[in-house]
Amino acid sequence: MSTQDARLQMMNALLRKRGADEASRADLRAFAAEHGVQGDDLDAIEAVGAERFLVYRSLVQNRMRNTIADFIERTAARLGMKRLRADFADWMDQCAARSPYLRDVPAEFVAWVTPRWREDDAVPDYLVDLARHELLEYDIRNDHRGGESPTGRDLALDKPLRFDGAARLMTYDYAVHKLSSDAQSTELPEHTPSRLLVYRDPDAKVRYLELTTLAHAVLVQLIEHRRPVADGLRAACESCGEPLDDDRLAIAATLLSDLAERGVLLGAEA
Amino acid sequence: MQPQVPTGVGLGLRGAFLRDIVRGDADDKIAFLEVAPENYMHRGGRSPKRLATLAERFPIITHGLMMSIGGTDPFDEAYMAELKVFLDRYDPAWHSDHICWSGMDGAVLHDLLPIPFTTQTAKRVAARIREAADRLERPMAIENISWYLQLGKSTLDEAGFITEVLERADCGLLLDVNNVFVNASNHGFDARAWIDAVPLDRVVQLHIAGHEPWDDTLLVDTHGADVRDEVRDLLSYVIERTGAKPVLLERDSNIPPLSELLAEAASLQAVYDAALAKHQEASA
Repeated sequence: MSTQDARLQMMNALLRKRGADEASRADLRAFAAEHGVQGDDLDAIEAVGAERFLVYRSLVQNRMRNTIADFIERTAARLGMKRLRADFADWMDQCAARSPYLRDVPAEFVAWVTPRWREDDAVPDYLVDLARHELLEYDIRNDHRGGESPTGRDLALDKPLRFDGAARLMTYDYAVHKLSSDAQSTELPEHTPSRLLVYRDPDAKVRYLELTTLAHAVLVQLIEHRRPVADGLRAACESCGEPLDDDRLAIAATLLSDLAERGVLLGAEA
Repeated sequence: MQPQVPTGVGLGLRGAFLRDIVRGDADDKIAFLEVAPENYMHRGGRSPKRLATLAERFPIITHGLMMSIGGTDPFDEAYMAELKVFLDRYDPAWHSDHICWSGMDGAVLHDLLPIPFTTQTAKRVAARIREAADRLERPMAIENISWYLQLGKSTLDEAGFITEVLERADCGLLLDVNNVFVNASNHGFDARAWIDAVPLDRVVQLHIAGHEPWDDTLLVDTHGADVRDEVRDLLSYVIERTGAKPVLLERDSNIPPLSELLAEAASLQAVYDAALAKHQEASA
C-alpha cells in the first residue's frame, strides 16, 4: 500500500467504521498509524486533530442517514431513530453505499438490513414490508425503464405480451399499502397477504392496483416469466389449484383489457 | 460545430423549483442552467422529460458530483458510460467535476473529500482527468473544493497543487469563489493572493454560493445561505481579470422560493456587469 493510499484509507476508516470516532479522539496518531500512515504524514494528521476529521464523519453520515430517513419516513418513525442510527452505523461499517446515485442509498440500506430486521423479534414483522413499500414509490417514479411505445400487435394466445418497463409486481405479508401516509400514525397493518401491480401512468404518477390471487399468478407468468398467453394462463391456474375454464378466461381477458387501457400492457411481442 | 458557451449569471437546477422553471418563471432572467447529471442519469419518469424541455429554452452546463477524480479506485464503468450518454445528449462545451475523492474500495461516501496537496497526487489526478476526458470525448474542467483539513503532509499549497493538476491535465478550471473564501477564512490565507496564484486563463466557469458556520472556528460550504458581500467582491475581482464567463449561483439547502433566488441572481448579474465593464475598460 502506498503512503498516499494509506492517508485515504485512514480517512475512509474514520468516516465509516464503528467506534472510529472514539478511537480517533482517544489517539488520532495511533489510529492513523494503524491504517498505515507513516512519517511526516502522521505528524500532519496529528496536528489537524480528531475533531476536524470528525466534522467530515458527521457530514458524510448525516447526509446518507437523512436521505434514508426521508425516503422511508414512516418506517423510520415506527423503528425509532435510535435503532435506525444503530443499524445505519453497522451498514456504514460493514457495507456502505455502492451506487454513485444518492437516491439509491435508501434501497441499498434496506436490502442490507432486511435479514437483520426479519430475524429480530424487537422489530415489528410488518416493517420490512412497509420499508419496501415506501421505497417502491421512488423506485417506480424514477425507474429508467417505462414509457415504451405500444407494439402495435394484437394479443395472441401463442405469443408473450409486452408490459411497460416500470411496472412491478409486489407481494406483502401485511397490507402496508393501506396504512395512513401520516408518519406519526401508529395504526397497525392487517396481517393479510397482499398482491399489487405498481406502475407509472402516462402522467408519470405512480399507481397501485390490488390483485386477486389468480390475477397476480397470471401476471407473474406473463410479466416475470414472459410466457406466451395460453401457457401463462395454464400455469397460473395450476399454481392456484383452479381449472382453466371459461370463467377464468373471462377474468384474464378483463384483466388484460384493463391493463391495456391503463397503458401498462403494450401489446403482443413479435 | 462547437457548443455555444453562455456568459453571465445562471442557476443550478434543483428539484425544489424545477416545476417553476418549466412553467417559465425564470425565462429571460438567467443566462443558463447548470445540471448535475447524476440527478437525471439512469432515471426515467418526469424529471428527465422536464430537463429535455428546459434544454430547448436554456443553455445547459453540466457539473458532476461523483466521478471521484482524486480517488484511487478505477472509474465506475457503468457510471462513466451513463455519463457519456447524458453528455452526448446535451452536448455541453465541457464537463466538470470536483478535485476530491468520494469513495474507496467500492464504497461510495457521497461527499467531496480532501486529497493530499503533493506532486505525486497531482500527477495521479491529472492522469485521471485526462482519462475522463478521453472516455467522455469532451474537455474536462475541475472545481476547487472547500476543504476542512489537510490530509497528511502537503508539499504544495492548494493554489500550487491546482496549478500543477491543471497544467499536467491540460484542462479547465471551474473556479468556485465561495470555496476560495471559505478556505481562506478557515486556513488563514489571502483569498485574492490565492486567485492571483492560479492560472486564470484556464478558468471556464465560476461558482458562487453561500456558506454557514459549523462552529466558531470553521465555515462550511453548505450552499444554504445567501451569497455574502465578501464573496461578491471576490466574484468582481475574478471577472475583472478573466472577462466574460458563465457564473453559477448554487443553492442546495434552505432553498428559498424561486423568486428570491432569481432576485439574488439579478443582483449578482449587476455585480458581474460592473466587473465586466471594468475588464473591458482595462482591455481597451
